[in-house]
This record gives sequence, C-alpha cells and structure tokens, in this order.
Amino acid sequence: MTNDKVSAQNMLHRMIVDFTANELAPIDMKIDQLGDYPEGLFQKVVDNGLLGITLPREYGGAGFDYIAAAQAINAMAFGNASMAVTLEGHFKTISQFLKYGQPELLAKYLPSATKRIFAFSQTESSGGSNPTGISTRAVKQGDDWIITGDKIMITNGGLAQVYCVLAKTEDDQMAVFVVDQDMPGFQFGKREDFIGLRGTPVGEIVMDHIKVPDYHLLGEIGQGHEIGNNAHDDARILMGAVLAGIMKHELKIAVDYSKQRKALDTPLYELQTIQEKIADIAIAKQNTELLYQHGAELKTAGEPYSEIAAMAKSYGSRSAVSAGDKALQVLAGYGYSREYPIEHLIRDARAMEIAEGTVEKMNTEIATKEVAK
Amino acid sequence: MKIVVCIKQVPNTDTVKIDPKTNNLVRSNVEGIINLFDRNAIEAALQLRQQAGGEVILLSMGPNSYISSLRDGLAMGADSAILLSSRKFGGADTLATAYVLSEAIKKIGNVDLILFGRQSVDADTGQVGPIVAEELQVPQVTFAESIELQDKNQLIGHRLLDNLVQEVKVHLPAVVTVRDEMNQPRYETPLNIQKSFEKEIIIWSENELAVDPAQIGQTGSPTVVKRIYSPEKAGRQTTTLPTDPHAAVTQLLEELNN
Repeated sequence: MTNDKVSAQNMLHRMIVDFTANELAPIDMKIDQLGDYPEGLFQKVVDNGLLGITLPREYGGAGFDYIAAAQAINAMAFGNASMAVTLEGHFKTISQFLKYGQPELLAKYLPSATKRIFAFSQTESSGGSNPTGISTRAVKQGDDWIITGDKIMITNGGLAQVYCVLAKTEDDQMAVFVVDQDMPGFQFGKREDFIGLRGTPVGEIVMDHIKVPDYHLLGEIGQGHEIGNNAHDDARILMGAVLAGIMKHELKIAVDYSKQRKALDTPLYELQTIQEKIADIAIAKQNTELLYQHGAELKTAGEPYSEIAAMAKSYGSRSAVSAGDKALQVLAGYGYSREYPIEHLIRDARAMEIAEGTVEKMNTEIATKEVAK
Repeated sequence: MKIVVCIKQVPNTDTVKIDPKTNNLVRSNVEGIINLFDRNAIEAALQLRQQAGGEVILLSMGPNSYISSLRDGLAMGADSAILLSSRKFGGADTLATAYVLSEAIKKIGNVDLILFGRQSVDADTGQVGPIVAEELQVPQVTFAESIELQDKNQLIGHRLLDNLVQEVKVHLPAVVTVRDEMNQPRYETPLNIQKSFEKEIIIWSENELAVDPAQIGQTGSPTVVKRIYSPEKAGRQTTTLPTDPHAAVTQLLEELNN
C-alpha cells in the first residue's frame, strides 16, 4: 500500500473514532432502550458521508477498500454495534452491485447510495441461509420482469430504500433483482422486535407484481445462489469487525471495573480468577481482529475469502457472547444490571450467531472446505 | 473572499504520556493533531466561504510532519495548504513565527481575512495572531466568539472576555482569533479525506519568502525561557465589595489603608 493510502485509511479510522465517541457512544444505551435510532441520528451518518465509504469515486463515494471499511465498522461497533451493522448491511449490498450489476443499473442507483441505504434480502418464512424453498417469483414479461413475493428479516428493512431480492425464475433457477421503495407494488411489512442490535431495523418487504426492466437483474439468471453466498461472505467479514468491536467494549468495561473495585483490600485486577477472564476476552478480541482483517485483505487482493469470512463470524460471534458473559461475571451484580451495558452487548453479539448464516452453517461450510483440501 | 487560516500542530493530549522518572512529557511517537482552537478557526472560515464564496488557505510553520495536520484541515474542506518549513525557521518564538507567517501572507496576496485559534493548547501564549496583525498593520479581533460579515469590507466580531462581550467592527483585511464557543468544528468526511490527498501542499522556505535572516528562527527570537514551573498556589483571600458604589469605595479605601 502507498503511504497516502495508509494515511487516508488512518484518517478515516480517526474520523470514525471521533464520530462514534461524540455521536454514538453517549447514546448507546438509549438506542438499545428505544429499540430504534433517535430522530436525526441516521441523518448525521448520511450528512457525514459514511454511507459512501466503499462507494467508488465515480459514483460520488469515497472509494475506500474493504480493509478500511472493516476497520471503520470495527471502530464504530466499539461505541454502538447497531449502527455498525446498519453500515455492514449497506456495504455488502454495494459490493454485490459493483460485482454483478450492469452499467445501466449502476448508473441509475449508485449515485444515490451516499444518501440512501441499500439492502440485500434472501430470507423468507420458508428459510434463510438455504434459499431453495423460497417462493418469491420473477416472471419475464416482454423486456421486463414481474416480481412477486415476501421477504423477511432484512437487515435495514424499512430504513433501506433499495433492495436486492432473491427470486426464482424457474423452479430450479434463481436470480437476484433490484427493486426500490418507489415502485408500484412495493410495500413495507412489519419490523422485527429482536432482543439485540435493537437500533438496527430488521424488517419485511412485500412485493406485489413489481415490474422491473431487464437491467435490474444482477449477474445472470441462475446466478442467484452464488450472489447470495457472495453477499453472505462480504457481510461475514464486516460482522467479524463488529464482533471484535463489541469485544473491545466488553474488555474495556471489565478492565475499568477491575481497576476501581476492590475485594477486601485487593483490586480485582490483581486476582487471578479475574485476570483469567480479562485474558480470555483480550485473546478472543485479538483473534477476531486477525480473522476479519485477513478476510478483508483477501477480498481486497482478489483472493478467495469465503472460509476465512465464515471463521471470523463463527468464532467472533461465539467468542463475543462468551466474552460478554465473562465481563458480566467480573462486574458481578452490576454486570447483571441493566444500568451497565454488558447485558445488551451480549444480546447484540448473540444476533450474529444467527444473522448471515447460523454458526452451525458457518462451521459446516468451514469443515466442508477443510475436508476438500 | 480569500481567507487564510493559520494553524499549529500540537501533541495529541490523549496520547501524551509522562515519563515517570523525569516527569516530562514523552514527545517521541506522540501523534500530532491540529490545535483544537485552530479547528474552530477552520470551521469559521469554511462557513464564511459558504456564505460569501472564495477560498480557504491553510498556513502553518513547522517541520514536514506538520503536513498531516494540514491534510486534516484539507479534509475538513479547506481549498489549499502552505507549509513554511526550513531548518532556518527552527527555534522561532512567537515574534519570529509571526514575522514569517506575515511574510507568507504578503506573498499569498490579496488576503481579506486571517484567522487563528485564540491560542495553542501546548504553549498557551495567544500571541502569534496579534503580532501578525501588527506586522501586517491590520486591525485585529481577539478572543472572538462570533464574527459576521457586514459587507465585503467590514466585519463585526464579538470578543468574549472574562465578564463581558465586546462588539468590535473592523475593516478588512483583519486578523481574528477564534474561541471554541464560536462553532462546532465539522468532521472530516470520508470523501474529503480522499480529496485531501489530491490537493498539493505547497512548501515555502526562506528562499521563497522575502524574509530578513535576522528576524527568523532562533536569531530572530528574543524570548529566552529560563525555567518552566507550576506557580505555587498562594492562599489569598477574596473580599467581595458591596454593590452600592459609595459603600464599595469606602470599604476599598479601608482595605487599602490596612
């Protein structure tokens, strides 16, 4: 990397650290309690250009690579994991546009991606990570496609205005199409009431005979599954970054408390049982950082990254839940109290044992790749 | 409108550590950042540019490592940056610094407004801005909490002093030193960060400026620092005088006579 590139990346990181410290961290608990972003907060994210971090310069974005984006998301998750996941959902979708979108589609939509959120939707009530049972249909009508179906549990669903949707064109053929909220036949459904990442909207869209032109197809007919998997891989790297950020937060809370609290006359941090927990959290955080950073480096270099992305999310999510539990134990009664953020960090981390593929699915994928080597 | 903002790089106090043996600041590997009040000055300049058009030029004097702070200022939205850098400028006190800055401002030419932070957070003198105003023979508004352009040639500033606010009207060009009460500096945006690397940072040494060698660097610096110490806090007593002027004067005279 050139010196300028490293310097720009460091400046971006510092900007996100400042933004997070001033705008997000002070209201982290409030966002959890509110179950939403307070009015005006998302607009600050937009006004400060954060949606355009990975968007190429030709479309009005800043054109940072995935390494910088993952680092930015990690810094943000230290202060608030919900907003970090909102950016994750947007960045992974932009990646699919760039990889699979036709020039006409990119020209139509990407210039607006600095102002509005793009989302990727696969899951239906019939299934999530395994999309073979989906019922959303795309039917060719002249030069257009007519899309009908119902997508649920979409990251940023309701907040996003542009959606990539996985649909069947034949019983055994899947493809991804782009729809937006202004199209006739588009409706928002219900928002999920999840226990963690409560700021991040997760919702449903209903498509009733939405007509889109042919260039709204991402990639080719039959490539739907591949694009869906690619979106998962891109998301998993960034989720690793979110999880490492959550663990950094957990570690800080545990360390700070161990310094201020004494057991009789001994500070907690001098007790071996406490040291054990602090060390475990620190090691897990460090490992997750190495995994997500390596995943981002591989993606940026054009190398295969699917397995490392799965590792970052699988290891990171389990570790962050476990690290939260250990931090809670360091704080004991206070850790169990809702006055402290530990309990919501555990709930936040827990979401990522499920979202973008369950831990069990991650591990199946990792094992399959290892066996095939 | 051509606005020059003079900025200084200072150690990031968040990363500064104290050497436990010497009790001195450990300056090696300490990150340099824009002096906090200078960020307010940049923000003020950017707002004026938005209002009146024109350009914002950053100006700083220091080693090449100051480029990172100029880059930060460009990422906030400034148009261009000039670094005054030479070994011969080294060791300058506030007088020699202000002299070189003034000569650079003359070289830039047709400058309408020169903004400074009210003081640096490391040296805390607050002298460079006022000396530059004297060097350039232009009016100055120090400790400004707000500024407002009247027209192309006049500016009204409000100086926030200890117990009062003073409204000052000055003709341009002028020097203004900016308090942090004036505004909330904007964030550098990701796009502006990238754009900042496409803007050239011009470096001028004594060769590009018409400077008198006797007035620059250590030679041009009459200030001699004999000792740096924390003054002992004297336990002085405060007497509050009555609000009635007659009674206040009577009591004051009594106190003085005692």
